[in-house]
Amino acid sequence: MWSTTIWRKTWGDQALLGLSFAVLWAAFPWIYIGLSAQIEMNAFQDVLLRAIPEDWQKMSGVPFSEVATHVGRVALAFVDPVVVLTATVWGVTRGSDAVSGQLERGTLEMILAQPIPRRTLYSTQAIATICGGFCLCVILYASIFTAIQFGPWAGKVNPLQFLPPALNVFGLMVCMSGLAAGVSACDSYRWRTIGILCAFYITSLLTKLVGRLSETLNWAGYLSVFNAYEPQQLVGGEWSDWQLLLQYNGILIGIGITSYVIGGYIFSKRDLPAPL
Amino acid sequence: MIVETQNLSKSYGPFCALEDCNVAVDSGEIFGLLGPNGAGKTTLLRTLLGFIKPTSGRASVAGFDCYSESVRVRQSTSYLPGEARLFRRMKGQQVLDFFARLRADCDRRKCSEIAERLQLDCRRQVSRMSTGMRQKLALSMVLAIDCPLVILDEPTANLDPSARAEVLELVLEARSAGKTVIFSSHVLSEIESTCDRVVIMRRGLIAHEQSITTLRKRHRIYAHLNGPRCQIPESLSDTISVVKESSSEITLESTDSLTRVLGWLSNLQLSELKIEPVGLSAVYDHFHREDNSQGTATSLFHSESSPK
Repeated sequence: MWSTTIWRKTWGDQALLGLSFAVLWAAFPWIYIGLSAQIEMNAFQDVLLRAIPEDWQKMSGVPFSEVATHVGRVALAFVDPVVVLTATVWGVTRGSDAVSGQLERGTLEMILAQPIPRRTLYSTQAIATICGGFCLCVILYASIFTAIQFGPWAGKVNPLQFLPPALNVFGLMVCMSGLAAGVSACDSYRWRTIGILCAFYITSLLTKLVGRLSETLNWAGYLSVFNAYEPQQLVGGEWSDWQLLLQYNGILIGIGITSYVIGGYIFSKRDLPAPL
Repeated sequence: MIVETQNLSKSYGPFCALEDCNVAVDSGEIFGLLGPNGAGKTTLLRTLLGFIKPTSGRASVAGFDCYSESVRVRQSTSYLPGEARLFRRMKGQQVLDFFARLRADCDRRKCSEIAERLQLDCRRQVSRMSTGMRQKLALSMVLAIDCPLVILDEPTANLDPSARAEVLELVLEARSAGKTVIFSSHVLSEIESTCDRVVIMRRGLIAHEQSITTLRKRHRIYAHLNGPRCQIPESLSDTISVVKESSSEITLESTDSLTRVLGWLSNLQLSELKIEPVGLSAVYDHFHREDNSQGTATSLFHSESSPK
């Protein structure tokens, strides 16, 4: 049973956050490419290849010689904290609002007192969050496209090469929002849901780094969801890049959707506590 | 029977919030729920709405199971939670618009009329409303829904006296319109003046069920005995009983119309006669006051009590 009223309200709830992230992601590629262009390529290569120890270079996921190109430098924008954290914050904040956020505010009681099935409320929120994330990724890619086409590196880089990395960002958003919604469906406090997701995020990040830096603990990297977030490896726009994207996004979106489904099941069965 | 529960129980680990609760509410009546905090009133109401899965037993509203068919139950129900939390970023009018769009049976025009009767300024943002104003806003929505059952969990809490009176008036109007109202409150006078029937809950149990009509007929008669001890005639033995008697004083209790009793009393050698209605507070105190006198109260409530 679909409810247009709930759909509109959910978009209203995420409008301000979405708008501010849209502005950030619209501006970020222009600023990033503008600032990067001020550093000469030779100087950049010197810093990158000489100053950073060889062991640490493993962390980039791609050879540093590739990073030290125009394409590589644009690709680094996708692993910049501005993009990664914004994608994560979108997923965690919207996902955590699915159940525990509304329970904590006490508004869930008034909505569910109406003849609205729990699954309608939950799935509407999930779809709106995923669509919102997709819109943000479209804005990010559009901004990268225009910043390349009309910016200082016009003609040096093909902007179509960055479509797979942008879709990988979308995969990360679905994964984080699904995980957050799954935890939210079991919880009654949003602060705790966010805390659990932050712990998960940090653990995943550290696991990935440990896997990268230690040969004996190489397997640990596969335990991290960030193992499937490698936008810098997807730059190129060749068939192999799309295949790799399919693999990575299959993992990320698969985890996200599975978590959404499990969360939906838990939410439909659980007792709802009175407003706290 | 619009609401029926059969041995309804809800436990949270070792704590039993509701135990073997059997309630039957007739269509068109105002049914009161009384009890101190933690007695199980809200748990019972939330179980009816399908927010809570019963540990055992079952509950139905309009013939639909409250848990497995909760959407259909909520189609027949309008519910005001104990603490109405609304969308803080919206204005009062937007909240009413939202619920009117959400439910086809919610009359937006009636929402405004009720809000006006409750003297609520709906142009204000919810985040800038007081608790009482938010309660009025929720009531404006809940009471404007055209459905057979209205469940109000402490609807007059946080309201000023004039708004309380208006809410009680609206509840009576809902009954006149053929709706059933379940009404929980801590204010005994409200329950007594509004409800047709009341259950008193205690520690998750239905401690007593009382018809207000029957209660209104009950009176206590206090008198000073100037003559011999009085003997209750056979014809009045079913309506009057001795609650307390000493050599000089007597306390009687009448459970029916006073007309017949007064005739008998006039023939006795009594002075300082005092007749008082037995209010709901006496019934409530019996079940909730720690130091009540069990023997005294038993005579009062024997006919309808169903204590566990």
